Amino acid sequence: MRLFRGQRAWLVQRISALLVLALLAAGGLALLLGPPLDHARWHALATGVHGGPLIMLLFAALCAHAWVGMRDIVLDYVQPRALRLSVLTLVALVLFAVLVRVLLTLAAHFAPPG
Amino acid sequence: MKLSIYRFNPETDDRPRMQAYEIEPEAGDKKLLDVLMRLRTVDDSLSFRRSCREGVCGSDAMNINGRNGLACLTALAGLKEPVVLRPLPGFPVIRDLIVDMTQFFAHYHAIKPYLINDGPPPEREHLQTPEQRARLDGLYECILCACCSAFCPSYWWNPDKFIGPSGLLQAYRFIADSRDTATAERLDYLDDVYRLYRCRTIMNCTEVCPKGLSPSHAIERIRLALLQRSS
Amino acid sequence: MAKPGDARPVFLDLFRIRFPIGAIASILHRASGVLLFLALPPLALGLEMSLRGEAQFEALRSLLPAPWRIVIGTILAWAATHHLLAGIRHLLMDVGVGSALGTARASARAVLAIALLAALFAAWRGLS
Repeated sequence: MRLFRGQRAWLVQRISALLVLALLAAGGLALLLGPPLDHARWHALATGVHGGPLIMLLFAALCAHAWVGMRDIVLDYVQPRALRLSVLTLVALVLFAVLVRVLLTLAAHFAPPG
Repeated sequence: MKLSIYRFNPETDDRPRMQAYEIEPEAGDKKLLDVLMRLRTVDDSLSFRRSCREGVCGSDAMNINGRNGLACLTALAGLKEPVVLRPLPGFPVIRDLIVDMTQFFAHYHAIKPYLINDGPPPEREHLQTPEQRARLDGLYECILCACCSAFCPSYWWNPDKFIGPSGLLQAYRFIADSRDTATAERLDYLDDVYRLYRCRTIMNCTEVCPKGLSPSHAIERIRLALLQRSS
Repeated sequence: MAKPGDARPVFLDLFRIRFPIGAIASILHRASGVLLFLALPPLALGLEMSLRGEAQFEALRSLLPAPWRIVIGTILAWAATHHLLAGIRHLLMDVGVGSALGTARASARAVLAIALLAALFAAWRGLS
């Protein structure tokens, strides 16, 4: 698939939105169907062979989605070049930090059975 | 009838002001433009554009009680008083209700609003099936009054880079035309973070179009055409 | 908008423009998105805390003093609901579902109302 310069951001926004929706729906269903959520169950879910990567995917989609959205806001309301660059850098740093933090957390606890 | 009208004369005023008017419409006055014309017999300094006075030329677009519309199509009955008239939002004011539409028309010209066909010229004419012709309905009727673009927040923030709802509707009018062979070039031009993708589907354009057209729908079709092309 | 150096006035007083319901749903979609962006770092830290141990997991529920918990919980419930529903509305409109003016107005109203209800529900649950 060819991705064009204007279309790419739009597509990333839409695809990440669909991913977040699907993952939230799946996660909500998993939590609702089981017994009430306590630490043991949450830990097993979040460090499992499916749960861990899926939570990582959720955060990746959330961050991608947030990037496109925040960039759109900056492109609309922040016109001076220097200010625009600083705000975008700040947003990127925050999202990058979130991703690294989540990745480290999940990796540290990742415990697939066997 | 009470009115409050945005006044600005570049030769005498430093800043715009609102002027109150009171005038009795006469029996034949049905539309806002009728009252504006009558006002001009009282105050001939009041400036606004108008021409056909029946919603075809698109020159008397203005902000009427907070929404863009054509004075000639706005019925007096039901207008909340005082009727507050201001120039189209986001456009530089030349005088009173007259705005500078240079940038708006620059976007219109940039989307090449004419049929491009590289094929050999047909002996008589390019024929279309009724279905092909029907795809232009809701697109060709645009009168370029700028009500939509001047009501679009995305256009307010980036009027120099975002083509705006009117220009994009016109662009799709030629993309959808079976006789046009420049579809790829047209899509190339539109595929840009600013030109097309500033649109956030707010739909203010469709809300105020005095011809009942839907620029937001045209934009949706352009995005889908780009998606189809890239997959 | 006027270019720099252009002395001509521009009318763009947003408080004197009457925004249609779709525009209100749209600007709140944006505002709720910013709130959710701001919630991402605390969310990442919360994830870390929740996995560290049973005590920390339980402590998460009472991390903030009561009034703040309710206020922030209510705001985030509104933001998440509004953003999600407005997003679904846009995804559907992308493929031509509900993009006619009448339906779009109705769905904008529905999004605004349901998000408000979600906020009320969150506040009520926090208080009881």
